[in-house]
Amino acid sequence: MIESRQLSPVELVHIYLKRIERYDGILRSYITVLAERAVEQAKIAEQEIAKGNYRGILHGIPYGVKDQLYTRGIKTTLGSRILQDYVPDHDAAVIERLNAAGAILLGKHNLHEFGKGGTIDFPFGQPRNPWDISRTPASSSTGSGIAPAAGLCSGALGNDTGGSIRWPAAANGIVGLRPTFGRVSRHGGLMFGWNADTIGPMGRNVFDCAALLQVIAGNDSRDALSARVPVPDYISALTKDLRGMRIGLIREMTWVEGMHPAVKGAMEESVRVLRSLGAKVEEMSLRLAKYAVPLQMMTTDADVASVFLKKWLRTDWDRFDKGTRSRLATACLIPAPIYNRAMRARVLVRQEMLDALKNYDALITATHLQPAPSIDKSKETVGTVSDMMERVLRRRISTWPFSGANVPAIALPNGFTDDPLPMPVSLQIASNPFSEETVLKIAYAYEQATVWHKRHPNLDFTTRQLTS
Amino acid sequence: MDIPFRKSAMKVGIEHVRAMTKAIDLTIPEDELLPVAIRLSALLEIMEKIESELGDQMDTVDPVPPVFAEIARLP
Repeated sequence: MIESRQLSPVELVHIYLKRIERYDGILRSYITVLAERAVEQAKIAEQEIAKGNYRGILHGIPYGVKDQLYTRGIKTTLGSRILQDYVPDHDAAVIERLNAAGAILLGKHNLHEFGKGGTIDFPFGQPRNPWDISRTPASSSTGSGIAPAAGLCSGALGNDTGGSIRWPAAANGIVGLRPTFGRVSRHGGLMFGWNADTIGPMGRNVFDCAALLQVIAGNDSRDALSARVPVPDYISALTKDLRGMRIGLIREMTWVEGMHPAVKGAMEESVRVLRSLGAKVEEMSLRLAKYAVPLQMMTTDADVASVFLKKWLRTDWDRFDKGTRSRLATACLIPAPIYNRAMRARVLVRQEMLDALKNYDALITATHLQPAPSIDKSKETVGTVSDMMERVLRRRISTWPFSGANVPAIALPNGFTDDPLPMPVSLQIASNPFSEETVLKIAYAYEQATVWHKRHPNLDFTTRQLTS
Repeated sequence: MDIPFRKSAMKVGIEHVRAMTKAIDLTIPEDELLPVAIRLSALLEIMEKIESELGDQMDTVDPVPPVFAEIARLP
């Protein structure tokens, strides 16, 4: 519509700004809104398009980013009091690429402190789920999950170490893709999980995520672990025919005791839909997947904590959120021999998944075993040793094994609960390293055969909860 | 979750956490030592379980992070 000039980028930016003004005081998806800058950029885009200089599918499209990605001259807080006034002098590589594509940065999204999850007290406002504001919008790309769902931007970028794109996507009823580590440059993101942090797209549908990934993917010499792998045409991969595809449903990551009946029902129905599209779907087992969560906590968390110890834990303990500092302090104390043994175990857990992917084009699970819980229940508490680990595992078992294996995984809506305020539930699809086009293809075919992505929260109704 | 817990040899108490944090020049308020002890004990316990199941296989592999393999295979 923008290319054919049926919709003006300036008009579109104003629509989003009005919605932000109306709803975000309650939802708190943004930390910084770049109103004037976005309008100026939209005017430039409009003039370029009028002159016939259309740059491509994202030209004139307003987007937001998790406030973990550097933006030149614009505050980048990491959701922390420690960096509340920090202004970087350069853009993240993904921001550069989106700028070059003519996309318009609308603002910086709220997040769990330093993208770690477990934040108890949000310095920039308590984020709320647009489907039911008493519930959590999940962690840690929190605002980047809320804003597309609530129609406060066209799409967003999040960061996923364990499940930080996919869980907010699931909780807010949108699509979120964790790409293969190495597919998208990490340059300009404050991310210390040096072998697990990925930047990926979040949007209202699979097409939008494919379009965002198309622009941000590709090698970057400033990221030492950026892969030199060709970037395929993700948009062309979006077809509705899954004939001949083999899909494995992972028992240990889906049929887990205590899963919500709506999640179970939606998964059973998703299998039926995928089969109707021509895919062969069968249940399979990944015996070691349950170990992925503690192993990543003993390794990636320790990598992250090693940087924070030097930078701020020693000097600014009181300025950290209580939840963040407790988790980081724990990770600081992982003994080196344990770290080494955990890294070895990760190799085995990962290999089991890669071996399984020799027999299947893709693997599926529920993205989360429960719909988003209430904000109070979502706060991670520490009770006894066994109780704590049980809760930690249950919360992460569906997403973290894919992160530990470093395979791409996408989350997309596959149903709703029958609560008075129905909450979205989500399907997750993963595939081999650098096979983002496969997960996008399956997700697109599923999405086009279902109606879930067409449902949007009624913000006038849900935001009234707080005022009433 | 199917990870049975047992009485573990590897676990820490408040006094251990106090000493370990001192060793890395990190001062934690007294009332925040217990949550750290519980979190760390939980991880150590589960590592014992993983060792008991996978320990022999773990000896046969290098602790390679899940990034280099893809990079090395590239042209």
